[in-house]
Amino acid sequence: MSDIHTLAGAYALNAIDDMDRARFDRHLADCPACVAEVAELTETVAALAEATAETPPVGLRSAVLDRIDRTPQLRPETRRTSGRRPLPRRRWLAAAAAVVALGGAGAVGYVIADQSRPDAGTRADAEARRIAAVVGAPDARMRTTATDGGRVSVVESPSLDEAVAVLTDLPAPGTGHAYQLWVIRDRTPQSVGVLATGRTDATELVSGVRGAQAFGVSREPSGGSTTPTLPLVAQLPLG
Amino acid sequence: MTSEPEPGSQEAAPTDIDALMRAVADGDRDAFADLYDAVASRVYGLVRRVLRDSGLAEEVAQEALVEVWRTAARFDPSRGSAAGWIFTIAHRRAVDRVRAEQATVDRERRAATANVPCDDLIEEVTARLEQQAVRRCLRTLTQLQRESILLAYYGGLTYREVADRLGTPLPTVKTRMRDGLIRLRDCLRVSWG
Repeated sequence: MSDIHTLAGAYALNAIDDMDRARFDRHLADCPACVAEVAELTETVAALAEATAETPPVGLRSAVLDRIDRTPQLRPETRRTSGRRPLPRRRWLAAAAAVVALGGAGAVGYVIADQSRPDAGTRADAEARRIAAVVGAPDARMRTTATDGGRVSVVESPSLDEAVAVLTDLPAPGTGHAYQLWVIRDRTPQSVGVLATGRTDATELVSGVRGAQAFGVSREPSGGSTTPTLPLVAQLPLG
Repeated sequence: MTSEPEPGSQEAAPTDIDALMRAVADGDRDAFADLYDAVASRVYGLVRRVLRDSGLAEEVAQEALVEVWRTAARFDPSRGSAAGWIFTIAHRRAVDRVRAEQATVDRERRAATANVPCDDLIEEVTARLEQQAVRRCLRTLTQLQRESILLAYYGGLTYREVADRLGTPLPTVKTRMRDGLIRLRDCLRVSWG
């Protein structure tokens, strides 16, 4: 406890690797005093940015202003009004998914993790932390597409080389059918998971997205196929 | 490092930046242009210091500033100032880039960059500190506290790398970063308060 707490300085300085950061983020969820300390230390660190100020290249301003004209803004996260009680770990996945769902189309939608696997407890926890890390990554980018009453969103973090796919309210795939997820690289689709038969909602962590061009969802016979059935139900660009 | 730091008088006061940030969160593009003018020199300079490459710095500074626009509505004023939030994004982006590059370069090159003397970095940065308060407060830290903080922040190093570089045990470096920042915070609070 006290050991992890000493990471507050390194954390404020960004002087930690992703593993330690994830560990400390977990600690922060249980320690409101630490949140306050990190906020203050981050503020202190910001004063050090004075020392290195220098005139940026002339083209930077127009390049940035040009890009923001083409960049949509994220919607605000919903705030919990009932105090600052940390979420039980099990619920992180749902919370992360909710962030995605809310940010995606402004609609309210909670996607609950599939906890039916035999070792769902520990595995879901580990996965939930990784999903939270992707969603919270500073370079996280989200894309959303609507499909037949439902919605598919992908949050991608190039630095973590991971993405989170959120499928919400897809139409029922039909008897004996399931949705399958694909990552498309060099025009070759690679399966990254098959949902349970009939399932229409999911939050899935997708690893190894660097260099991939697209994410796709297809409707397949239960258990999945080796190549996707076309046309895809949804497709989103990656990278 | 040949460019001069921006004169402090051209920087907007923190409260102005907070106000601009609120307008930016509502999608105000003109406010974003003003925000750019208020923070760009610090964002670019910080990123360039960490990356030590102007071309790369321009690219990463651009990404960071677009990120500020994109995520403006997620900024929570109850957790700190807008300026602090913006510099954190910029620093994080620069550090992520350094570490991604490091993962791909070979060991020899890594060994070569590890030999950049840290004394030079620390002296240069300290000499450029415009704000007297920050410079004076840094002087109140112990040498190890100061070196750990400055190497991590401007060098983009993890605390493990700082420990290696300084030949100091890991737990000591971790602790010095924290108690050094706490002392800096208390000193600055008195100066600003």
